[in-house]
Amino acid sequence: MKIAISAEGPDLDARVGDKFGTSKYLLIIDLDSGDTEAVPNPGASGQRGAGMQAVVLAISRDVKAVLTGYCSPAVRSHLAASGIEVLGGLTGTVGEVVESYRKGDLREHIKAEIESESGKGRFDRDALVQALRSSGNQFSALLPVLIGVVLLIGLFNVLISKDVLASIFSGNLALDTLWGACFGSILAGNPISSYVIGGELLNYGVSLFAVTAFILTWVTVGLVQLPAEIVALGSKFAVFRTALCFVLSLPIAILTVVVVNLVSR
Amino acid sequence: MNSEGSQKHKGAEPIIRMLIFPASVVVLYGILFAIMPDKAFLALKSSGNVLLSIVGPLLLVFVVMMIFNVFVKPGQIAKFLGAGSGAKGIILSATAGIISVGPIYAWYPLLKELRQKGAGNSPLAVFLYNRAIKLPLLPIMVAYFGWAYVLILSVLTVLGSIATGYAMGVLLKDGRDRGA
Repeated sequence: MKIAISAEGPDLDARVGDKFGTSKYLLIIDLDSGDTEAVPNPGASGQRGAGMQAVVLAISRDVKAVLTGYCSPAVRSHLAASGIEVLGGLTGTVGEVVESYRKGDLREHIKAEIESESGKGRFDRDALVQALRSSGNQFSALLPVLIGVVLLIGLFNVLISKDVLASIFSGNLALDTLWGACFGSILAGNPISSYVIGGELLNYGVSLFAVTAFILTWVTVGLVQLPAEIVALGSKFAVFRTALCFVLSLPIAILTVVVVNLVSR
Repeated sequence: MNSEGSQKHKGAEPIIRMLIFPASVVVLYGILFAIMPDKAFLALKSSGNVLLSIVGPLLLVFVVMMIFNVFVKPGQIAKFLGAGSGAKGIILSATAGIISVGPIYAWYPLLKELRQKGAGNSPLAVFLYNRAIKLPLLPIMVAYFGWAYVLILSVLTVLGSIATGYAMGVLLKDGRDRGA
């Protein structure tokens, strides 16, 4: 059985880390074999989502328990959802805590924690506050760019004439759809922006074929995030997937509009 | 570069990056106010109208986001993606893509880990394609394009994701977990 312990250093003499998400190291200890692996905590920089990265690490190493100083309710619920037991409020060196855990001295502590967790239920206040906070963060992250897009649309409405757009979107179904897909692939950001821009393009008389290809490639293609996808999943995967998504957006856009027209007749 | 190597940015930097675009637009407005104040005023009024039309759906988006944050846990989604490349795996990956929230950058470390644990190319491609369906953002999409359009596009997106997953499996010879 493997356990993960937040630690301030890479060995058993290090002190247990105060916070699971941002401690310097996570020590993965196999209690059966005694093997210890010191992994630099991917969330140690303390940036947003730090706790989530430590959760991913714990899940990927298949640990059954997390021992730490403090673990936020959100991180705790993510770990619990993956069947990982969390034991917080621990101090001392990693070696001491592991020994106590091995001997079962922490059993009462675990029992108290489990009882307190099960007493809270799914809708406890902490979880709701955390959800509200997460939603607030996600929302505040998308608002500045959305407001920028809305302001830009205002400028566009006043300064750009319909003739300019008509010179790009000429009314040729295939070509317009292709242009829509190209613009959607280059631009990036929250999809709300693509809906708002797409809606305004419709007002300008741009075809629904082009707008559909635009909003589809905005999310599925995204050349801006291609480097990040290459790093995460490899260049072959990222390039093939991007190319496929671009090509596929054209028939999906055309089919969508054709079916919509059929249905609304 | 590994996942640790990409974590050099402290909290303030993403905020600054996030503000560059709106700040640039504000600068453009400043320039327009200086040379053509009447046009700048019209542009602002036009933006105000667009903003008013999306305020209602935006509030609904916030509520749906919160419901998702209460019920959807990334740990569960990770399990969905680990179900292999068979029909069950593809359905679970599509579901995971549809219910996943947050920017794609937040998901890359998790996908990388899953890949290292043996998740196939097909489920990963299906997951990524289905992220085009944003359940929390549906109120905005419906406000602009109507229910029929949103429904048809969503169904075709799911079918498109399966086609992409299959093609990726063939192109990258994804046989590691076929039939799992």
